[in-house]
Amino acid sequence: MPRVEAVGRQWYSHPYNRSDLYRLAAGLGWLPRRLRLALARQIGRLAPALMPAERAAIRDTMARLTGATGSRLEALTRRVFTDFAMCFSDLVSTNRQPAALLTAHVGKRVGIERLARLTGGLVALTAHVGNWELAGRLLAGRSARPTHVVVAPEEVRELERWVRRDGDGVRFVTRSRPTVSLELVAALRRGEVVGMQGDRALGGRGDIRVPFFGRPASLPLGPFLLASAVGVPLVPAFCLLDTRYQYVVNVAEPLTAARGQEEDAARAWVAILEAVVREYPTQWFNFFDIWQGFDG
Amino acid sequence: MEPDKVLEELKDILVERLKFEPSRLPELTLATILPKGLEGSLGLDSLDFIEMSIAVEERFGFVIDETQDVEAHFQSLGTLVEYIRSRTVAR
Repeated sequence: MPRVEAVGRQWYSHPYNRSDLYRLAAGLGWLPRRLRLALARQIGRLAPALMPAERAAIRDTMARLTGATGSRLEALTRRVFTDFAMCFSDLVSTNRQPAALLTAHVGKRVGIERLARLTGGLVALTAHVGNWELAGRLLAGRSARPTHVVVAPEEVRELERWVRRDGDGVRFVTRSRPTVSLELVAALRRGEVVGMQGDRALGGRGDIRVPFFGRPASLPLGPFLLASAVGVPLVPAFCLLDTRYQYVVNVAEPLTAARGQEEDAARAWVAILEAVVREYPTQWFNFFDIWQGFDG
Repeated sequence: MEPDKVLEELKDILVERLKFEPSRLPELTLATILPKGLEGSLGLDSLDFIEMSIAVEERFGFVIDETQDVEAHFQSLGTLVEYIRSRTVAR
């Protein structure tokens, strides 16, 4: 059949997704959080020198997102690595705490009451910004209904034990087989929540080119097709680290994806994502050129 | 509804909703595997299965039971035909 299949890698991945790095970060989980984050920042400051390709990509991205040049651009580039190191440290330690303890790390909630108004199924849409996994866990506790978080099959299966801990209403669904979408449709119809990433193209026909900070970038259309098929809203949600190292949970106005108008919803999502990234540019954790794509 | 009739309806869905090339339809049998990644399959991806499930509901007039694991029914044209027949006969 004349289907256009993507060739090669299906989604962006980097060579640092290694279990020993996760184990090291998790091993520091016994430290008091403030001390642990300080240590993470120190490690993050070393990272740009060890990751030249990622540093170059981040530098170009920061220039586009902020217009910065010179020493300010260099500082922003370094800050991405230190912010990432802190969020990564929390990912493998703080995030693994029971849901009741997670709220102690939340300093501000914006628009979270919007969730309470929604009673049926919904697609919680987030991105690789801040501590996105924590956003899912916090909202799962808030919505009081099962949350299915869609994740890519890890290249190293062992990584799953560090970042994917089912429980507290969260269940991870690996995109390992095409029929998994039927499972997601059923979950939404039962009034449950499906969490998806809306910023990372898969390299297939389900991608869409949308202007992002003024230049076309490939983004996934799948979340919008899923929502429109079932007739449920998409709720953009983010979890950002503030200057006091507390998290800001930001839930935006729900989006509607009507049948045949999924691309319009995707553009509305991009506008919301741009606003968040504009406010927190150093927590945009895509260490590749999103405009060129992962094969570029 | 007879299996052949259901199969023909599914072929219509493949062409109309999933944009398959009509000239290839004669190759399809009840044994044809649906999900991509399997040898000899139609190569349906996750988006195809969303569209396929909605189209089946609309075409055959029933709602797929969200309390059951339906993935097994979408493994081949044959399993899907049998699932549709079981749901339409039951009405």
